[in-house]
Amino acid sequence: MAVPQPVLAEQASPMRAAAPPVLALDGITKSFPGVQALKGVSFEVAPGEVHALLGENGAGKSTLIKIMSGVHQADSGTLAMHGRPLRLASPHAARQAGIATIYQELLLFPELSVAENLFMGHAPRRRFGGLDWRALRVRARALLDSLDIHDLDIDGAVGTLSVGNRQRVEILRALSQDASVLIMDEPTAALTEHDVVRLFGIVRKLRARGVSIVYISHRLEEIFQLADRVTVLRDGEHVATKTVSQTDTADLIQMMVGRRIDSLFPKITVPIGKPMLELRGLARPPVSRPVSLSVHAGEIVGLAGLVGSGRSELAQAIFGVTPATAGTMLIDGVAARVGSVAEARRLGIAYVPEDRGTQGLVRPMTVRENASLAVLSDLARFGFIDRAAEARLARETVARFGVRTAGIEQIVGKLSGGNQQKIVLGKWLAANPRVLILDEPTRGIDVGAKAEIHRLMGELAGRGMAVLMISSELPEVLGMSDRVLVMREGGIVAAFSRAEATQERVAGAMMGGGGTPG
Amino acid sequence: MSERAAPRRLRLPIAAHEAVLLTILIAALAVLATLTDRFFTLDNLLNQGMLMTEVGLIAMPMTFIIVTGGIDLSVGSSLGMCAILLGYSWHNWGFPLPLAIGFALLCGAAGGFVNGWFITRLKVPPLIMTIGTLALYRGLAEGISQAHSVRGYPDWFYGLGQGALFGVPSQLWILGVAIIIFGVILARTTIGRSLYAMGYNETASRFSGLSVDRIKLGIYTASGLMAGLAAWIFVSRVSTTRSDMGSGVELDVIAAVVLGGTSIFGGTGTIAGSVLGLVLIQLLKDGLALTGVKGDATIMVIGTVLILSILITSFAERRRDVARMARPPLRQTATDQTATKQGGTP
Repeated sequence: MAVPQPVLAEQASPMRAAAPPVLALDGITKSFPGVQALKGVSFEVAPGEVHALLGENGAGKSTLIKIMSGVHQADSGTLAMHGRPLRLASPHAARQAGIATIYQELLLFPELSVAENLFMGHAPRRRFGGLDWRALRVRARALLDSLDIHDLDIDGAVGTLSVGNRQRVEILRALSQDASVLIMDEPTAALTEHDVVRLFGIVRKLRARGVSIVYISHRLEEIFQLADRVTVLRDGEHVATKTVSQTDTADLIQMMVGRRIDSLFPKITVPIGKPMLELRGLARPPVSRPVSLSVHAGEIVGLAGLVGSGRSELAQAIFGVTPATAGTMLIDGVAARVGSVAEARRLGIAYVPEDRGTQGLVRPMTVRENASLAVLSDLARFGFIDRAAEARLARETVARFGVRTAGIEQIVGKLSGGNQQKIVLGKWLAANPRVLILDEPTRGIDVGAKAEIHRLMGELAGRGMAVLMISSELPEVLGMSDRVLVMREGGIVAAFSRAEATQERVAGAMMGGGGTPG
Repeated sequence: MSERAAPRRLRLPIAAHEAVLLTILIAALAVLATLTDRFFTLDNLLNQGMLMTEVGLIAMPMTFIIVTGGIDLSVGSSLGMCAILLGYSWHNWGFPLPLAIGFALLCGAAGGFVNGWFITRLKVPPLIMTIGTLALYRGLAEGISQAHSVRGYPDWFYGLGQGALFGVPSQLWILGVAIIIFGVILARTTIGRSLYAMGYNETASRFSGLSVDRIKLGIYTASGLMAGLAAWIFVSRVSTTRSDMGSGVELDVIAAVVLGGTSIFGGTGTIAGSVLGLVLIQLLKDGLALTGVKGDATIMVIGTVLILSILITSFAERRRDVARMARPPLRQTATDQTATKQGGTP
């Protein structure tokens, strides 16, 4: 039954009866081979609001914004802008309609100047088609001024700018095309604290100007700081749209994962056993400084530090990617020399690397091929891969970690970040390690998958595994670790017990302040 | 509307490329067979098989190398160097002929090992390294031979290149065995899987504990060894040894492998594809020559087929991707709109 649309809208939200939504999506469905990404999702953006879009990875956020930005076309459902039906056949059509999208990977030309980037594709022209450089610079300056940005050089090459500044250029670029809806996909994922504050300032200015913003982020606290309304998606369905002031973190998480997560960091207390991994002055001179530490069976040791403090380098020395050349390493009390990853694996060391895409997975290969990659030789007889055993392993991995995939022949690169991370973990747990090194195990994945990985870490420690966790997220380090070690400039500068470790102390040691030398 | 499931294609792009090749091959066979009655005869086809053996043998390890994203341009020069070493060690240095053959094979493997060692240990890009040895090995061949050719091998030596077993030329049996061995390694073993993984993402392969460097060293050595084997067969077939043997063979080999669907960027490719590419090029060359097409024109036809086959495959892939991205656009918008109006009228 068709119901007159305006009447329905009025009943649903009388407060916006006067101003129709800038952008309204109704009953959008979209499927990809093997996956129903969206199941009848409706979504409205009111003029001048910041509307947060929340959901776990794989919930359908990305698909929804790709439909709004013209990258994908919906299978069914309608789009309307200012009450008029809208068809977006391409990203270009979306920009013409005034919908601009800022993706996580910024799409700028690094060699060109700020001004050139701002007006790329619609630069002011002179009579004979030549570029009007003067007008270009004047308009670029005006655009920057309109947002009170005075610290950007419009003639500087974009490639020399920080991520935060490049992002500001991208936002300005969207504005230069008179966008009335700005979609921001995890804009703060790669930003420093300072840049985040500046970004928020810009978002608020835009809102005051009447620009509507669709804001996607995994950081819930940002939503409370910034957003007016929040829409939660789960498994391709619309769960709820709420005014931010009428909800709280627990409520949002419950809507996202479909259950209530009481504690984000469920550290299970387990008996601590004998030292499983011991380093005595391990180093790779002249690149790194000697490091001594120990991780016991059943223990989770958090390794905190700033980016570039040498944590990943240490992990990769232990794991044999860049073998250490000085000092000794003991595994389960026995001196061990690790010259290659294969040797580390044989000794029972596993490393879940920081960068899933380049270090953790072979993205164009299937779930099956990735799940078996670290234990390939165990699955083979005389070099021949036992395909049945391989498929069994892959199916077990998918079942054990609850990976959302169309099947084991699915290409891994098409899975969401959280599901990809589960495959990396599964691939290494298949090797039955005694020492597990996790490098930023939950970076860029959603709350639900994060909680699952934390639960799993506790479980693994409970079974006597020694876990060394590198993390830049302090709450994670403090919540999960039995002990916290802090690295700075390639060496360990402080050690704290779980009881001693507070946000202030650990952060202080990271930055070079106080702390007990470890 | 939403329930109507999209047709799911699970066909692999590689298989699709091989299907394209097979179609082109059958079409070419049919056309050439009607143009001349000397083409589609058993004698001619076996003779062509004989002629493509050397390129075919080298194409096997080359498939492995290109699957990993590498390249070996030195194979033609290796062939020349091995041929000269075989002839000279026997004729001038007094090696018994079987020893001379073994020596040539060993030197081929050593030449490949040198490539592999520099590529893995000193991180010299394969293209640069093998361009270097392309010149170096050819120079060695010319330096040793001093433009003299070696002839007059004993009769038994020609059995490999000119003899036959059960009516099939001897070297075709060797090629057949090589195809099976390399095919099985690539499709079924941990080494084959490692090659694909390395081609797609070498870093992740290292982080997964695959012996990336050892495998690379192995495939470049195998490449040199097969060039040595090809040299032996070549000398036996043409009854003489000259230092310019195998010039330009690297391009024939790479053309066959790439025509066979192995991506020059690594990660994809099969031995079956390379064999199809090899056969297609050889039969086109022969068929066109028999129908009276001049040599230059033949090369042009082969170049065109190479480009066309790649285009057809990538076009088909793109079509498939587009079909996957763009499901039926919002056709029902109009009808919904009308329905809304009608609903609103009363």
